[in-house]
Amino acid sequence: MKLTEALRLLQAAPNAPLWRADLVCGFTPLHFATWLHAHLQQRLPARRVGLHTGLFGDWAGNLERAAAARPAAIVAVLEWEDIDPRLGPRQLGGWLSAQRVDIETSAAQRLAQFTVQLGQAAAQAPVTIALPTLPLPPAAHTTPLQMSVWEANLRALLAQFSAQWSQIPGVFLLSSQWVDELSPAATRFDPASCLQTGFPYAKPHAELLASALASLAVPPPPKKGIITDLDDTLWSGIAGEAGPDGVHWDLEHHAQPHGLYQQLLASLAESGVLVAVASKNEPEVVRQVFARPGMCLPAASVFPFQVHWNPKSQSVEAILKAWNIGADSVVFIDDSPMEAAEVAAAFPEIETIRFPTGDARAVWQLLHHLRARFGKSTISEEDRIRSASLRQAAPAVSTDPEAFLAGAEARLEFHFSPGLTDPRPLELINKTNQFNLNGRRLTEDDWRGYLRTPGHFAAVVGYSDKYGPLGKIAVLAGRAEAGELHLDSWVLSCRAFSRRIEHLTLAVLFERFGASAITFDAQATERNQPMRQLWTDLSLPFSPAARLERDAFAALCPALPHQKEIFD
Amino acid sequence: MTDLEARLVRCLQTVFPALAEDQAREASQDTVSAWDSVAMLTLLTVVEEEFGITADYDRVEEFTSFSGLLGYLREHNLA
Repeated sequence: MKLTEALRLLQAAPNAPLWRADLVCGFTPLHFATWLHAHLQQRLPARRVGLHTGLFGDWAGNLERAAAARPAAIVAVLEWEDIDPRLGPRQLGGWLSAQRVDIETSAAQRLAQFTVQLGQAAAQAPVTIALPTLPLPPAAHTTPLQMSVWEANLRALLAQFSAQWSQIPGVFLLSSQWVDELSPAATRFDPASCLQTGFPYAKPHAELLASALASLAVPPPPKKGIITDLDDTLWSGIAGEAGPDGVHWDLEHHAQPHGLYQQLLASLAESGVLVAVASKNEPEVVRQVFARPGMCLPAASVFPFQVHWNPKSQSVEAILKAWNIGADSVVFIDDSPMEAAEVAAAFPEIETIRFPTGDARAVWQLLHHLRARFGKSTISEEDRIRSASLRQAAPAVSTDPEAFLAGAEARLEFHFSPGLTDPRPLELINKTNQFNLNGRRLTEDDWRGYLRTPGHFAAVVGYSDKYGPLGKIAVLAGRAEAGELHLDSWVLSCRAFSRRIEHLTLAVLFERFGASAITFDAQATERNQPMRQLWTDLSLPFSPAARLERDAFAALCPALPHQKEIFD
Repeated sequence: MTDLEARLVRCLQTVFPALAEDQAREASQDTVSAWDSVAMLTLLTVVEEEFGITADYDRVEEFTSFSGLLGYLREHNLA
């Protein structure tokens, strides 16, 4: 993005509710602030982003002041001179051996101080931080080719502390490897600008760093599922022709990229990404390949398998139904451009990717691309059990609902004091489309602010039954006013449909608050038909005027055989 | 107004959006209160992007007005 574009984008920002971000750095922010501001604004088109900057040379103080302001996000950029001013070109503190030893000592103290401050700041707002991207000065006695003990010690200190920071909830470190790949180290520093204005970055580096930090601070929602082909994709060769033992994914058979692809899919599955197979093949042949030792993607990580000779679009349709998610949350991968085109024609919302068989570099890039599409900051318990719970839910669809519910031994937990640091409620609110009261998305700042407002309440609902736990599957947020309740948000994971959880939730709300009626901020979206069905069941119009009387609900409420437990 | 002048006016309006076209053509650090040292660096970067040049920052005192910038650009045969 050119600076001109950034300025024009900011001038066109909507007159909308403010989303405040604080930039913490020790240098003159200059164009970096403009680019960061613009990239944040670009990611939040429905908000007006306000960016606050701090004082020159006072990284620690700027972080403290930013935290006190409780912004929606803190974006911090750390450079070596923030750790010790003698590591920057604007201070003449000396590079003699005794001074270098002192720099090491003070750096350790400074980084320890930052660790405490980051913990405190992250309790107020999410902190996105970039570690030093500029070079150390040539202060040591070694040639630039040789890493001195002094440099190694400083880098070890930074590594040690940044490892601690990465474990602080609410602190998100920008990957140095990612920056290294895209911004040439030799051209990042602009000494003239640094000395004249205090702005140390060459413009391309500043723009890239700003873009990356904005992406990390306001990440796009990750995709949910990946559908993969098998022959010449998950493995090298055609299983139906070469036989189950004739396909490969290892170095010996020059097929290692397929093994790496399998490894990535297994890792994605472990992090809660749904993985399915769509293959034109004989099911028994495929079963035998998956039974081979050394397969990096276990069959247990895949659900469902669609293995037959029908069009791939039919397989995709069946998989989407089994997963109960929208096509726009899915990536489809196949080595055949024709198959990819057939699926793309049937499901334009799906991201279709041709697997680059025979091109190791392109496969390597694909692995990074997939990690970018599916990556998430934290892995929740719900992520770990998602695939298994879908598998369990599958037979329930064909069972008589009354008999299934009565025998399911369903148990629900209603937690009326969700923790501010639990990412799951916000994840549910922002990812759920179908059973969603109004489709409203919230930032972390919105959510924190909502929970802090007197009179507001929120509840997170957990579910388990004899088939296993589903984890936290619903969130509701509202307010109690004059003997009535008003719900502003209500979402329920699609994995928990058809269990009358929504009915039990309403019953719990009436009971807990003694409310005579509940009103809802109900708004139709393109995809919340399942939510609207509940309104139909309750004989209510789906609109903000909808009002559910306690007595009317009691008359319409079906049997609720669940066990429930309430936590305050 | 020449094409060069029109493009330079757009640059000034990008950095100082409140300026009308005629105000931009008369603008200088003395007449635009927002034209401080930070705005100067922003303006020079916008001019660099628009005209594909690298400004000579040693001559920054010449860039304190529309006319000064225009003269510098004409020197670079950007008319």
